Amino acid sequence: MSAAKTEVEYEAGRQRLRLLSTAGPGLGWIVLFLLVPSAVLLGIAFFSADDYGAPVLPLSVQPFQQVAGFSLLGWDSGNIVIFLRSLQQAGIATLVSAVLSYPLVFFILSRPASIRPLLLLFIVLPSWTNQVVRTYAWLELLGPDAPVTWIAHHLGIVPPYLGLAPGSFAVTTGLAYNYLPYMIVPLYASAEKLDWTLVEAGRDLYASGVKLFWHTVFPQTVPGLLSGVIFVAIPAFGDYIVPQLLGGDKALMIGSLIANQFTETPDWPYGAALTIIMLVLTGLGLIGFRILTKKIGGGEEAAI
Amino acid sequence: MIPRSVRYLLSGISWPVYILLYTPLALVAYYSFAPAPNQMGHSLHAYGVLFHDAEVLTALQRSLLLAFFSATISTMLGTLLGYGLCRFRNRRAKGVLANIPSLIIYTPIIMPSLVFGISELIFFNFVHTYTGLLAAGLQTMIIAHITFQVPYVTLTVFARLAGLDPYLFDASHDLYADGIKSFIHLIIPVVQPAIIGGFLLGITLSIDDFTISFFTAGPGSVTLPIYIYSAIARKGITPEVNAIGTLMIGSIIALALIHFFITRHRERGSQFAARGNIT
Repeated sequence: MSAAKTEVEYEAGRQRLRLLSTAGPGLGWIVLFLLVPSAVLLGIAFFSADDYGAPVLPLSVQPFQQVAGFSLLGWDSGNIVIFLRSLQQAGIATLVSAVLSYPLVFFILSRPASIRPLLLLFIVLPSWTNQVVRTYAWLELLGPDAPVTWIAHHLGIVPPYLGLAPGSFAVTTGLAYNYLPYMIVPLYASAEKLDWTLVEAGRDLYASGVKLFWHTVFPQTVPGLLSGVIFVAIPAFGDYIVPQLLGGDKALMIGSLIANQFTETPDWPYGAALTIIMLVLTGLGLIGFRILTKKIGGGEEAAI
Repeated sequence: MIPRSVRYLLSGISWPVYILLYTPLALVAYYSFAPAPNQMGHSLHAYGVLFHDAEVLTALQRSLLLAFFSATISTMLGTLLGYGLCRFRNRRAKGVLANIPSLIIYTPIIMPSLVFGISELIFFNFVHTYTGLLAAGLQTMIIAHITFQVPYVTLTVFARLAGLDPYLFDASHDLYADGIKSFIHLIIPVVQPAIIGGFLLGITLSIDDFTISFFTAGPGSVTLPIYIYSAIARKGITPEVNAIGTLMIGSIIALALIHFFITRHRERGSQFAARGNIT
């Protein structure tokens, strides 16, 4: 009896050893080189900064006061404007990619099954090219001498000698361009499983056009849409390279503001505090989104 | 299923979007043939300059080294990790503790790359200050690139293994294959497409990345994307920058298409074989 039990225990121990020797190195790597570093980053936010911006004792909440806009010169609304602008840019980019995704996904589904993978590949391909290249490429299209800008001049949208880039419009475009595939892929996955008999039933009940789409197709694609919103909104909110290359000075976003605290004008504790606030806002957004999802119903796949 | 009029509408919206997706990339290629900035005409001048520019060539070499080494190590770590999680995890275990591996694996995927990069910057900085090891450079970039690639390789391998018949493992056990033997003779061959896919994904992710590279790079480890970024900041978009961009876009598209058609060809072959077995 006791011998059998030790054999079971022995086997369980061996199983644990196998798990440790196979999964251990990979998990350990991520813990050591990502979880520990990000814990260090978050910890820095509670220190004071020395003259070179490096963290020193004593512990302080001053970095968070700086985030809220308080400094030696009094209160400044700059940071709040930047947070709101980031939120707005991410929101518009998410909306644009969602609106474009629906026709694209159903266009692909309306084609023969054999060429669908290729059509999907051509959506995803641009996002595999380098971030810098595919972002600065938009300067060629929207910059001061570019053809699109020339048309915009003649329509009176932008004053002469100024391009559509750098600026807010270029940032929104760049973000939507960068993250469109992240919306299309999950949406495609849920649209592929669409139950078309429901659509037929709706048609039999004389529903058509927008009404038919809204009541039969749309509810079935909500899980994919919600995953897509998360995959686009979160990285767009904290994006660095797009506002950096396409934004200019007037379209500063939270990502560039954080990066500046570690490169141009170092102030590590302030930068770390900004990061914490950004992550907290992202987390709150996710939680709010989950609640909203549960109310709409059918948001199972939205859980990452 | 979709009425004809709606199909026309869908095509009418979708083809322009497809064109728009490739217009910026095509413009990069188009302007790479300009003889000088803002000058009309075509020439291969920029490419000629490029192939004699030692700085660009070393940057290219570094980018390739970075992609190759990081993808190789992350493929090894990720394959083992995916295998271990699929085979040896106690599935009955519940609660927070049982979810820790998944949490760890998903962190690099959901963490904004800026936060990722800055965390690494600070961590390597501290480690270097206190131990003298890990000076910012190609080594720190390789470490960071491995970190963001491992989860993707793991998920690719895991998905492949989870789709296998569990009796395969029992069968190999009955034939007296021990753990290592069955790993080499059963797992590796069966998971091979996923391993190759994971490796190529790692290469693609490495070449795609700028933000994490930028914050983990040292003064002597300028890779191609970092070179382009600083060249634009210094003197704007020149035909040379466009030429590098064109070559990068071209090679990644070629690589993706080749991989796509090879795997599709193989899938068709295996489907055919399966059908042959049934009859």
